[in-house]
Amino acid sequence: MQIRVKCNCGERNCEEWGVVELQGVVEPQPGFQGSLANLQIGTLCRPSSQEIYTLTIGYHELRGSKVSLKKPLLVLKKVKHMDGESCSDVELQVVGIIRHKILFKTRPKALISKPQITSREKPKAIMLGSAASNQAV
Amino acid sequence: MEPPQEISGGGGGGAETLKNMPPGSSISIAYHPNFGPHDDLIVLELDEKLIPDVLNERMVLRGQPDEDAVLCTQSKTYAMKFVGTSNSVLLVPPENQSESYENQQKNDINNTDEKAVARIIKVVPGSLELIEVSPKLDKLKLLLSENTYKFDENDMEILEENQESRAGLYNWNDLIDNIQASDEELRFGLQALSAVEINGYWRLVDESYMDMILGVLLKNSVLNDRSLNALNEDEVVNMLESDGFPMVLARHCLHLYANQVKENDSMESCVWKLDEKRVCIHYAREILKGGKRKLESFMEEWRKKTPDKMQPSFDLMEGEVLTEKLGVETWVRAFRVSSLPSTPAERFSILFRERAKWDWKDLQPYIRDLNVPGLSAEGLLLKYTRKTQPSPNQDPVFSAR
Repeated sequence: MQIRVKCNCGERNCEEWGVVELQGVVEPQPGFQGSLANLQIGTLCRPSSQEIYTLTIGYHELRGSKVSLKKPLLVLKKVKHMDGESCSDVELQVVGIIRHKILFKTRPKALISKPQITSREKPKAIMLGSAASNQAV
Repeated sequence: MEPPQEISGGGGGGAETLKNMPPGSSISIAYHPNFGPHDDLIVLELDEKLIPDVLNERMVLRGQPDEDAVLCTQSKTYAMKFVGTSNSVLLVPPENQSESYENQQKNDINNTDEKAVARIIKVVPGSLELIEVSPKLDKLKLLLSENTYKFDENDMEILEENQESRAGLYNWNDLIDNIQASDEELRFGLQALSAVEINGYWRLVDESYMDMILGVLLKNSVLNDRSLNALNEDEVVNMLESDGFPMVLARHCLHLYANQVKENDSMESCVWKLDEKRVCIHYAREILKGGKRKLESFMEEWRKKTPDKMQPSFDLMEGEVLTEKLGVETWVRAFRVSSLPSTPAERFSILFRERAKWDWKDLQPYIRDLNVPGLSAEGLLLKYTRKTQPSPNQDPVFSAR
């Protein structure tokens, strides 16, 4: 059998999707299981003009950077056509392409809310504001 | 549903936001309203040079349910390997893709801080990677051998409409459904097998039938004093047709045993020159069908069978026969490279079952057609053979690993 790879992206290029990659697992508190829709995970911050990013999740902060992928990733969607008898008519639809990711490859650093002010006051404030909604890493 | 205007106050969202974060800004990362496993979303890593093939829809997955699917472009075949990751890969679609219901209502977080949101649709467990592989053409030979075209089929062509007679017959679409190869590789494979399209089906023609046609062609050429170096296609085809052979096979005979030396222009037909090597090999095969022969008697009969102007020489038989010494006699028997499997492991296993030790001179014709992407000929030998050289001035000998 054959499965065609369809692409409606047009001549130029496919729509870009984004990726945030981090070590370990993002684990919501048990109370949120089953109702994750719209739940905030954390705050992504780009402090300077460098491609360095921080991701604050609960009391943890991750530092990472934007990396260009050596080879792009295609996002494909399996589409089943149920028309007629041939219900096994499957097609792969290209829905997007990924060329960059924001990669956090280090372990998280615990943020302890001591009054000692460091250079990173802004993400800390955000972290405190959203800390109630979830927990991670 | 309504356009997601409420979140636009925060500067849109989704993948674009993630991509274009200005320095000093921050965005919120959240689960998408439709966050879930989304098993229908697959991530495939591929080389930049294949992107045009994607955009122009020249890619297709091929394989039967019991086979590992391969991805084919017009000219190449790729195996697909799933590579998992232990990292959390959070996938963010562009916002307009996720225009789905209710994400406007539940924007309580957005209202409190005016921040853009990148929404995670799924956690990707890994991606598929592509590895270039050789096409799986052995199955092609197998399928086409189910029902070869034989002499008596001429008379049965009326039955063609009958569904029964389709057993073991494959048209192009049947072949691409069954064979894991790109279109180009499949066409090349059909050519290498000397297959011919008859009434829409790709067929192998029974060798003794082709022998009959070639015999008539040669005899008639002699009778009519035609040069074997300048056969007029129309004349030859008409002559063979009047002898009762189908036109498509008459043409096939020229393709198999001759080379076109002149294209047809508006007035005259094509001109073909009989290929000495292919004709000689054909007759050698016919002789050895009966089993092994003493070298002298083989050569004698071979000379007798081939057209007078041709000089059968034993060098032509590379990759066709093996010789062995039994006492003082040298014997010849058929051992055709074209009858061997094309996967290196199977090929070498059969070769070493045939002979435990091979000289390079003998081995080379049986492996030179092997083609494994990313592996050189030396690499192949290193992987599948053990090379021994008794002394520096002796030729190396290859044995099984």
